[in-house]
Order: sequence, then C-alpha cells, then structure tokens
Amino acid sequence: MTTTADPSWETLMCAANRGDQRAYAQILTAITPVVRGIVRARGGALGPEGCEDVVQDVLLTIHMKRHTWREDAPLRPWLYAVTRHKVVDAFRARGKRIDVPVDDFLEVLAAPAGPDPFEAQDMDRVIDQLDPRAAQIVRAIGIDGDTAADTGARLGMSEGAVRVALHRALKSLASLRERMIE
Amino acid sequence: MKTEDLIAAMAADATPQPAVTMRLWRMFPVAVLASLVALLTVWHVRPDLAVALASPAVIKTLIPAALAGAAFWLAQGLTRPEAKARAQWAVVGVLVLGCVALLGRGMIAGGPSGLGAALNSPNLITCFLSIPVLSALPLGAVFWAMRTGATSNVWLAGAAAGLLAGAAGAAIYSLHCPEDSILFFLPAYGTNVLIMVGIGTALGPRLLRW
Repeated sequence: MTTTADPSWETLMCAANRGDQRAYAQILTAITPVVRGIVRARGGALGPEGCEDVVQDVLLTIHMKRHTWREDAPLRPWLYAVTRHKVVDAFRARGKRIDVPVDDFLEVLAAPAGPDPFEAQDMDRVIDQLDPRAAQIVRAIGIDGDTAADTGARLGMSEGAVRVALHRALKSLASLRERMIE
Repeated sequence: MKTEDLIAAMAADATPQPAVTMRLWRMFPVAVLASLVALLTVWHVRPDLAVALASPAVIKTLIPAALAGAAFWLAQGLTRPEAKARAQWAVVGVLVLGCVALLGRGMIAGGPSGLGAALNSPNLITCFLSIPVLSALPLGAVFWAMRTGATSNVWLAGAAAGLLAGAAGAAIYSLHCPEDSILFFLPAYGTNVLIMVGIGTALGPRLLRW
C-alpha cells in the first residue's frame, strides 16, 4: 500500500495518462492487490485461478476505460466502481457456467494478497485467438519483458508500429473477453 | 498469463486516450450543425423567423435548447462509472417540471377544448416526422462518444442520450415550426422528445455495455 513518501495514486495515474509507462506500471501494480481483495471477497468459490481471471478482466477494463477517470477526482471511488461493475459481470457469466451462489460469499473478507503466485487460464486462451503476430507482441512485451524497440527489431517492425499493434491487441483482448462473458 | 505480465503489456501501451467529454464536445456540435443544415436546405426556416425569435414565441426554441444543455451535462456526467450526477438530474428534473407546469397553466387558460384545437393542425404530422429525423444524427454522435465511457447504468445513460438528441432535434425543428401556441409545442415536442428518450433507453444496453 502507499505510504506518505510514495506519490499518490492520483499523481501516478495523471502521469500514466500523459504516457509515463513507469508510473502506469507502478499504479497498476499498486491497485492489483486491492482489486484481488475485492474479487476474492466476493467469489472465493471460483478458486484462486478463477479469481485471477476476474482480476485480469478488471485490469484490462481499467486499461480500456482509464480515460473515464476525471483527473481532479479521487481515484479510489472510480476504481471501486469499475471493479464492482466487472466483478458483477464476471460472476453473472461464470455463475451460469459453474453455478456459484455469489451472495453466500459477500461477507467473506480477504486481505490483499502479495505478489501474484497464480497463473490465470482464460487470458492465454484469448491471446491464442489474436492473430499470431499480435499474440507474439503481447507475449514478448508482457511475459518476456521486451521493449517495443526490441520486439520491433526482431519482427522487422518499427517501434511505433509495435506500439500501435500492442494497443490494438489489448483492445481486441478486451472485446474478446467481453464476448466470452456474454 | 500471469497478472504481472499483463500489467507489463498494458504499461507498454500508455498511449493517451481522448476523454469521453472531448469526443462529445467534438462530435455533438458537428451532428447538430449537420441537422441544422438539413433544416435550412430541406425544411427551410419559417419566413418570419426574425420576428418570431424577437417575440415571446422564442421560448419554443429556448426551452428545448435549455433541456439539451442540461442533458448534455447529464450525459457527460453519466460516462463516469462512479458518478451519481445528482446535480445534473436535478437540473433536468426542474426543467421538465417547469414544462409540465407551463403546460398545465396553458391548459387552464385555454379551457377544455383548447388543447385539442391547438393540436388539430397539419403541422402536427410534420412535427412528428421531423423531430426524430433531425434528432437521429445527434443521437448517433452522442452514442459514438458515450460508447467509450463507462456508465454504471446503461439504461439511464441511454435515456440521457435520447433526451439530449431529442431536445436538440426539437430546438432545431422549432426554427421551421409555424405553431407558436404553448398548447401545441409543449405536448408535440414533449412527445417527440419522449420518443427519443425511449429509443435511447432501448439502445443503451446494446451500445453502452462495457
């Protein structure tokens, strides 16, 4: 969690909105345990992997909708609203599939976990549905931690083209997840 | 894929996004302008427009324009997931109540047959054909902008989009409409705006899901 020495979530998110990748990674890393806490409190019965799928859904939604946060407003109410919306969605969909009585788990309190020890399943399946190059870019930058420049050099693309492709790939991932939920 | 890997991929895509309000401010005026041009070229403004706009009949344009302004503010507010938009709803509510009160006063003054007489006009059909058509482009623009938003209630946000488009369409149509009686334009425009609110509400869940 943040201490007084750390920049506030709002400061980080403002910097992220101006294209600061480090600030963006920092704020996403900071909010993930909070999102995970909410998801687990609501749906412990999904199991850690199932919960992590929902956490990743929420994070992807935060990514696609981050411009709906107004920079002069506090970040937390916005974050909770997005998380609540996505969690309800996800459980409605998964409830149909695996029939989890969500209400029974509303009272469970879960502390935010530490670093993520779980590998979520759904995201890999969805990444496989992307076109091969887009999937390669997402995996290179996400899993291998390559920069856009490195990835571009390897794939014979300009750095700008890799960025555009990554942006489109994340957008497709978000809508593919959306369709999975429907 | 691990969550930290997803975060790394997302952080590499810190491309700044245009705000929803920015998209609304950009596209809505363009759509209104296009409808206005359609009115000027297809419908034509009433011949005595200058006189009408200088007379009390100007409220026929001002009321829908004010409602459109309030609805614009409301639509903007409803694109944020945490927003309740209470002030915006209050302003819209006050305007709607004002219209109802004005209509009530007009009906008392006009007597029981006044409303029927005012609405018994061929212009009523033109009105019902025109306002939805003139509202269509603004509705498209509003939804186009609001789609990138994150509303907590797709029905209400859709209704607000319909209200904005319908009120804007009514304000544009009022420049053509020769009927200046309160007993004509309040019920006729009001019903058209309600039709647009209905269309917006129906489209909301489809277009504003996220």
